[in-house]
Amino acid sequence: MKNLPRLQSVRDLKKAVADAKRRRAEDKRPVLTVSAGTCGRARGSLKVISALEKSLKTAKLEKKVRIRVTGCHGFCEAEPNIIIQPQDLFYQKVDPKRADEIIGQTIKKKKVLEDLLYKDPATGATACEEHEIPFYKKQNRLVLGDNALIDPTRIDDYFSIGGYGALLKALTKMSPEEVIGEVKTSGLRGRGGAGFPTGRKWEVARAQKATPKSIICNADEGDPGAYMDRSLLEGNPHRVLEGMMIGAFAIGAREGVIYVRDEYPLAVENVTIAIEALRRVGLVGENILGTGFDFDFKIAKGAGAFVCGEETAMIASIEGRVGEPRQRPPYPAMKGLGGKPTIINNVETWGNIPLIITKGGAAFASIGTAGSKGTKIFSLVGKINNTGLVEVPMGITLREIIYDIGGGIPGDKKFKAVQTGGPAGGCLPASKIDLPIDYESLAAAGSIMGSGGMIVMDESTCMVDVAKYFLNFLRDESCGKCVSCREGTQRLWEIVKRISEGQGKDDDLVLLEELAESVKDASMCGLGQNAANPVLSTLKYFKAEYRQHIRRKKCPALVCKEIVSSPCHYVCPIGQEASTYIALVAQGRYEEAYRVILKDNPLPSICARVCHHPCETACRAGESGDPISIRAIKRFVLDWAEANGVRYVPEPVRQNKEKIAIIGGGPAGLTAGYFLARKGYRPTIYEALSVAGGMTAVGIPDHRLPKEVVAREVEFIKASGVTIRTGQVLGHDITIDGLFRDGYKAVFCSTGAGKSLAMGIPGEEAEGVLHSLEYLREINLGQTVPVGKRVCVVGGGNSAIDAARAAHRQPGCEKVSILYRRTKAEMPALAEEVDAAIEEGIDIQFLVAPIRVITEYGKATAIECVRMRLGDKDASGRRRPVPIEGSNFTMPLETLILAISERPDTSYIGEGDEIRRVEENIHIDEETAMTTRAGVFAGGDAVTGPNMVVEAMAAGKLAAEMIEKYVRGLPMQRDYWLTRPSMYVPPVSVSEAEAARAERPKIPHLSPAQRRKNFREVEMTLSEEAACREARRCLRCDLETQDGKAAVGAKP
Amino acid sequence: MDVQIDRVNAAILKHKSRKKALIAILQDIQAEHNYLPPDALRAVARSLGVPLIDVIGVATFYRAFSLKPRGRHIVTVCLGTACHIRGGPKILEEFERKLAVKPGETTPDGQFTLETVACLGCCAIGPVVVVDRDYHAHTTTRKVDGILKRYRKPGRPS
Repeated sequence: MKNLPRLQSVRDLKKAVADAKRRRAEDKRPVLTVSAGTCGRARGSLKVISALEKSLKTAKLEKKVRIRVTGCHGFCEAEPNIIIQPQDLFYQKVDPKRADEIIGQTIKKKKVLEDLLYKDPATGATACEEHEIPFYKKQNRLVLGDNALIDPTRIDDYFSIGGYGALLKALTKMSPEEVIGEVKTSGLRGRGGAGFPTGRKWEVARAQKATPKSIICNADEGDPGAYMDRSLLEGNPHRVLEGMMIGAFAIGAREGVIYVRDEYPLAVENVTIAIEALRRVGLVGENILGTGFDFDFKIAKGAGAFVCGEETAMIASIEGRVGEPRQRPPYPAMKGLGGKPTIINNVETWGNIPLIITKGGAAFASIGTAGSKGTKIFSLVGKINNTGLVEVPMGITLREIIYDIGGGIPGDKKFKAVQTGGPAGGCLPASKIDLPIDYESLAAAGSIMGSGGMIVMDESTCMVDVAKYFLNFLRDESCGKCVSCREGTQRLWEIVKRISEGQGKDDDLVLLEELAESVKDASMCGLGQNAANPVLSTLKYFKAEYRQHIRRKKCPALVCKEIVSSPCHYVCPIGQEASTYIALVAQGRYEEAYRVILKDNPLPSICARVCHHPCETACRAGESGDPISIRAIKRFVLDWAEANGVRYVPEPVRQNKEKIAIIGGGPAGLTAGYFLARKGYRPTIYEALSVAGGMTAVGIPDHRLPKEVVAREVEFIKASGVTIRTGQVLGHDITIDGLFRDGYKAVFCSTGAGKSLAMGIPGEEAEGVLHSLEYLREINLGQTVPVGKRVCVVGGGNSAIDAARAAHRQPGCEKVSILYRRTKAEMPALAEEVDAAIEEGIDIQFLVAPIRVITEYGKATAIECVRMRLGDKDASGRRRPVPIEGSNFTMPLETLILAISERPDTSYIGEGDEIRRVEENIHIDEETAMTTRAGVFAGGDAVTGPNMVVEAMAAGKLAAEMIEKYVRGLPMQRDYWLTRPSMYVPPVSVSEAEAARAERPKIPHLSPAQRRKNFREVEMTLSEEAACREARRCLRCDLETQDGKAAVGAKP
Repeated sequence: MDVQIDRVNAAILKHKSRKKALIAILQDIQAEHNYLPPDALRAVARSLGVPLIDVIGVATFYRAFSLKPRGRHIVTVCLGTACHIRGGPKILEEFERKLAVKPGETTPDGQFTLETVACLGCCAIGPVVVVDRDYHAHTTTRKVDGILKRYRKPGRPS
């Protein structure tokens, strides 16, 4: 490159370009193209390059193979990546250690290293070449595509792909007016934000008499989340420079300024090198190529002020002043840099110019929609599988970008929103997934194109937090010139912050909207005029989420720290203070831990065994490692209390005379009874069966939940002041009307969901076909149910696993198979239960659905099944199983247990009861838990259908609260509190070594041999040492709120 | 104040004492001194014939300038939108805890200055933390200790 001659004429440049093209075509050596933009370097691409160089040297191939170091190719997720020519192989996530193999195998022996190829996570298909990867398939990389072809530091590389050909065409074959005409024909609109037609802007500047005119390249890419300009300037600086020179020729400018962010060191470096190269070959300066065109570049480095993206502020900054915007008009096209006509376009806009001149404006305009032409580069980031820069034709739908190119949301979470256009833009909800992406559609939907940032958000993103984030950014970046913006963004931020802390007021939303409009109306520049967009667009589409923060003090995404405090505590339906008792265990204060548990949970030993532990799912330790084993710690505390004779005796409370009846003695009824007793009532529970406990007593076998444990908890409830009358069937022994007649002031219906659903397959009425619920009930009540040698269980929930494990324990039973129509990943049963079943030798057949029970003389003898495969997602977000034709097979059996689903049996409710039902489920007002009949409350499975124990308990707890209000005649309004622990336990100090070593403990189990043919409890308790060690691993989220910090001192 | 005034003058001369080059001059001085020493600001005001208040106005308006000496290592936590929703703020808090300083502050031993940035344009690999010129991709709170350790080691070239 160094010996490139000085280009003194048009012919010289033509020759240089032709020579470079020829050299490129003649060079038949294999090429290793390594992407080494900022992202690539951050992921180690420079190490890959030096390893490859070393390997080539060792193999004595350094002269026979080329390494081309390029900028970013856009697929940031796959960095560092290599493209190998001539095969066009695409290797992703390359480790420098693989260099020898790549040279030895792929270069020398032409062997493909399969494991370095891209694998589509959805289909498992591998892609050899870049264009086969779904990420690239729908893209049209007209601007960004050349990044992969050239070394940005070599001008002859740019020549070799026809670089500066467009400039040549403009200088020699076109008049400035023709250039402007071509840009106007193309329909190109500014890619930086507002989308002003580029050709029109140029025309205005061209018409100005004043000189010297200037052009500016806005490379101060300030929108957080957008980085296409960095990538283009880093990876193909000459293209941008060429575009600027064409623009300068068109309007008659002599100077071009590149205003580039200092936070982009590689972009600054590469564009500096590019300008030096131009100077060396004589493509800048006076009388360029003898055409009479004078032009030179200057670089101005931004100093970190978002407002400098505004044209007039940018000019002030280039002139060495504080970056405050001024009133427009006059527009910079008339009075800009130094008071002279100036054109400002951003990097991507300039990058489109050579293309328009080479291919013609009409060809460019053939891409895109009526009002938005060409392609647009988006930075697809956030909660998306394939993060990266995507260049797509205008008008493509959001769905295509997010799902086809982006590969959807990681972890199969739900797509919630996409934020476009940076801080001045807006958030579009999932319902806008089919929106075509162009200037007009985005504006109509309440957002903007902006510079092309596209930040994907899933269910774990809080929209109030997003609004707060942007407002914080804007109040920080407001230059302060206009009061409306300076004060307005500050006040907007304060209000949204207050809402995010659970301190919002009902009229805050109205205030926000009014204030937002004022900031919009009264501010001078784009920053202020658009500052309210993040609030307005989130309010437009996510008002319900704001309301939840304000009224219920809930942040469904678990983001707003002052509301959530500890996620474990926050998500627990009954509000167990997991973080508090864990902290107490960490200090060996077990008795206090026990009291903290008992405070909110009257059935703790049951929960410690069978709870589905939403606390662990939400645990922050699980975000980068394993969640804390919260249930096992609870179990340890309860077993410790039992072993040490520690008993909690509720404090006596003032007596209330009102009689309250509870129908159904399951977890909902027992919990309601306990909390009513704590409020001074003496409620009576009417239970249909001979034992109380509901499903926990008769639905779960002893190996998981021993009868004695349930009985002990029931005794505790009784001791707290609850009367339990068993064998009382509603509609038979008692009636709701009768209870009121007997003087009960309120009735709580918690009758559960005890009716098994039929499968709807032929033969299911045969002898030998059981329903899991009835089967488990009978064995739990001490009956013997012979099942024979071979048992099949249909279903994938906890009930299926329970039935299978129970049947397997019966004498004589040899083989139990579970048939489930989806895969293990979709199984609703707890993962630990599934693993335990497999460990015990239970055969689980995934992707199998029964279609017919084969009978002989009315008795089931086998089941005919069909194999399934997973198809598209259904409404629940799970992939729908589809039968594979001709895959039918039969399995012989003596007993078939159906564990499909259950529903409530509320046939006891008649017309005259005035209690509304939805199918069999009782309908309640969610806020008050009351049914359509005054004084009758309901909760648990009877309302929700089959659900988790702790959810039923929560319903009972709520019912107790609302029944008390009802009988006291208080307003029927629920109380909502911020999640806060009842006490702040100081943190324990954990050494770095301990933190590094700590891991989730293995919970001791009986060995499969010890479990054979008996119902001994399988899961055992943690040792004291293991429980303490695990408790010390807790991150103590409760100490991160303002209250928490204040309680234990700012610096733990 | 150990301001190398000849260095300051060199920066001014490099830009031919042009008023319009004020920001570029301040950038060069900061690159040299790690911050903008008061004496340097006075020298710039004198040489360019700009009121000191305007020099300070520019120096305080732009985020890139620091009027306080900064540490040997600059830890920059990205708080861009993409990093934000992937947990950037939690990373920042972890650095605040480990270094016991707030953003914009320097540890008493002069080792680290904690800073934040609105976006580094590496959104795909967020949350991103840059220490000096090294990028740390996909940062988690658990990685924070390890990152600091690499720079705490005496003798490691920064």
